[in-house]
Amino acid sequence: MQQMSIGIKINNIKKKLGPNQALNGVSTHFEEGLLHGLIGPEGAGKTTLLRTLLNLLTPDEGTVQFTNHGTNIDYNSIRSSIAYMPQQQSLYADLSISEHLDFFRDLYQIPQDVYLKRREELLHITRLDKFIDRPAGKLSGGMYKKLGLMCALLQSPAAILLDEPTNGVDPISRREFWDLLHRLSKENILIIFATAYMDEAERCDRVHILSTGSLIAEGTPRGVLERENVESYDALFIKRAAEGVL
Amino acid sequence: MNFKFNIKRALSIAKKEQFHIMRDPFTLTMATVLPVLLVLIFGLAIEFNVKDIGLTVHDSDRTFSSRKLVEVFSSSQYFNINPSRGSIVDAINDLDSERSKASLIIEPEFEHNLLAHGNTKAQFVLDGADNSTAGVILGYLGGIQKAANFKLTGTLVKEPIELKTRYLFNPELSSPWFIVPGLAVVVIAILSILLTALTVAREWENGSMELLLSTPVQPLEIIIGKLIPYTVIGLAAVLLVVLVAILGFGIPFAGNFILFGFGSLIFLIACLAQGMLISVLIRTQQLAMQIAMITGLLPSLLMSGFIFPLESMPKYPQNFTSILPSKWFMIISRGIFLKGADFSDLKLPFIGLFLLSAILIITATKKFKKDLEP
Repeated sequence: MQQMSIGIKINNIKKKLGPNQALNGVSTHFEEGLLHGLIGPEGAGKTTLLRTLLNLLTPDEGTVQFTNHGTNIDYNSIRSSIAYMPQQQSLYADLSISEHLDFFRDLYQIPQDVYLKRREELLHITRLDKFIDRPAGKLSGGMYKKLGLMCALLQSPAAILLDEPTNGVDPISRREFWDLLHRLSKENILIIFATAYMDEAERCDRVHILSTGSLIAEGTPRGVLERENVESYDALFIKRAAEGVL
Repeated sequence: MNFKFNIKRALSIAKKEQFHIMRDPFTLTMATVLPVLLVLIFGLAIEFNVKDIGLTVHDSDRTFSSRKLVEVFSSSQYFNINPSRGSIVDAINDLDSERSKASLIIEPEFEHNLLAHGNTKAQFVLDGADNSTAGVILGYLGGIQKAANFKLTGTLVKEPIELKTRYLFNPELSSPWFIVPGLAVVVIAILSILLTALTVAREWENGSMELLLSTPVQPLEIIIGKLIPYTVIGLAAVLLVVLVAILGFGIPFAGNFILFGFGSLIFLIACLAQGMLISVLIRTQQLAMQIAMITGLLPSLLMSGFIFPLESMPKYPQNFTSILPSKWFMIISRGIFLKGADFSDLKLPFIGLFLLSAILIITATKKFKKDLEP
C-alpha cells in the first residue's frame, strides 16, 4: 500500500507553560520521508514542541502547517495517519502485548486481514513474538519501548513522533530500536525523534538542536558539525554549554 | 467540528476497561464485598424502633397506684427502669449524665388525687437533646397512657373520636423493610460514583491519556466505553442487594422486577456519569476519590430520604435534593419494592432520573479535555 507522505512546517511557535517560556519562536521544516532528530537537554522544549505538532497543546503564537508534496493539507484529514509515542510510560501495565495490539487495532479501525499481516511483521522485526502474552508491566525497558513503537506503527502511519523513546534503554536495545527506525525511514515515513542523547544525532537525516525553547542549530548531522567547527555532538554541546547557551 | 461517534471504538474502550476491572483486586473487592457489607451493616444494625430506653423513676408517693403506673412502663418492653438515687434533682441529673433518656416523677398526692377526684398527674421529662429518641418515646406514650388508665381505674376510657391506625406496605413497621430497599440506592450511588471517579483520573495519572488523546478516539466514546463495564458491575450489585433483601431479611418484593431493573439501570448510569464528570474535571485519583465521597456518599445517605424524610426539610434544601439522582431512585426503589407501584405511579421520578442521567453524560463529554493544556 502506497503511504501518503507528510511534511510539517512550523513558523515562529511560541508557547508559555505556567511561568516558563517553553518555546520561544521556533521555526523549522520537518521534511517528508526523513528521520529528524529533535535534540536538546532536559527542559529544552522538545516535548512541548511535539505536543504542539499533535494539537495536544495550542501555541500562543505561530503556525503549524502540514504538507503533502509541498501542498498544504488540513490536520484533521490526516490526524489518524500521525502516530505518537509519549515520553512517559503510557501503556497499560496489566494488558499483554497481544491485548495492546488488539486495542489499538480497534481504536484505529484497522481491517482484520491488514492487522494480522502488520502484527506479524511488527512482532517479527521487534522480536517480541515470543512474549505476546506478557503484560506490559512485566516487560524490560527496551521491550516496553518496542511495544510502544509497535502500537504507534500498527496503523502504518505517514508520520511518527517519538518522545525520548530510547531514554533508559540498554545499549543493545537502543541499537535495535535505531535499526527499526532506519528500516521505517525507507518506507517514506516522516520520523521525528526527540532525544537528550547527543550521540543519537548522528543517526538522523536531519538534526534540530533545541535549547531553552529556541532552535540553536539545524541541518544534516555532518553539516551542523562543520558549521560549528567541532568533531562530534558531544563536543558541540560542551562548546555551547561553555558559551552559556545550554 | 469533527465529531463522529463510533460504537466499535467505544466497545474497544469497554473491553480494555473490563480487563482492568477483572485484574484489579481493589475494584473487584469493592464491587462484590461492599454491597454485601453495606446491606448487612445497615440491615442488621439500624433499628428505628427504639427499645431498652433508660427511664429514671422518682416515686414520692410509694403507693399501690404509683407502683402500678411504674409497672405499666416496665412491662411495655420499651423501657429499662432505673430507680431514683434520691431527690427529684437527681432524677433530672440522670438525663445530663446519659444514665436515662427520660424521667418519670410521681408526686406524693398521686394516689390520693386519683381516689378523691378521679384524676391525677405524673410528670414525664424527656431528653430533648436527642430529639429522634424523644420523638419515638413520645409516640409510645399514647399507648402507655391508655394502658395506665385501664390498669389504675379498671375502665377503658372512651375517646369521643378515635382514629384507627393501620400501616400499609409494612404492617409491623419493621426497620429492615424500610431500610433495605433504600440500601439499593445507597449501594449503587457509592459504588458507581467511586468506581468511575477513579477511572479517567487514573489514565491521566499513569500517562495513558496522552496516548489515547493522540488516537482518533472521541471523548464520548471514552465515556460510553468506560460506562459499559461498570454498568454491568452495578447491576450485579443491585441483584445481590435484592437477593439479600428477599432471602436474608425476608422482605417481600411487591413490584415488577423488570421495572425495578430498568429504574436501577437509569440510576446507575446517572451515578456513573456523576463519577465520570468528577474524573474528567479532577486529574488526580486521590482528590477525585475525596470529591466522590463528599458528593456521592453524603447526599445519598442524608439527602435522599434514605433515613431522614425530605418532607420535613425546609423548602429550599428540599428543592435542591431534586438534582440528586438518589432522591428519585429512592422513591422508585421503595415504591416498587414495598408498594408494588407501577410505571404510571412513578412517572415523575423516572423522568427526573432520565433527565439527570442525560445532563450528567452531556456535561462530562463537554468537559472532557481533548488536549493537555493545564
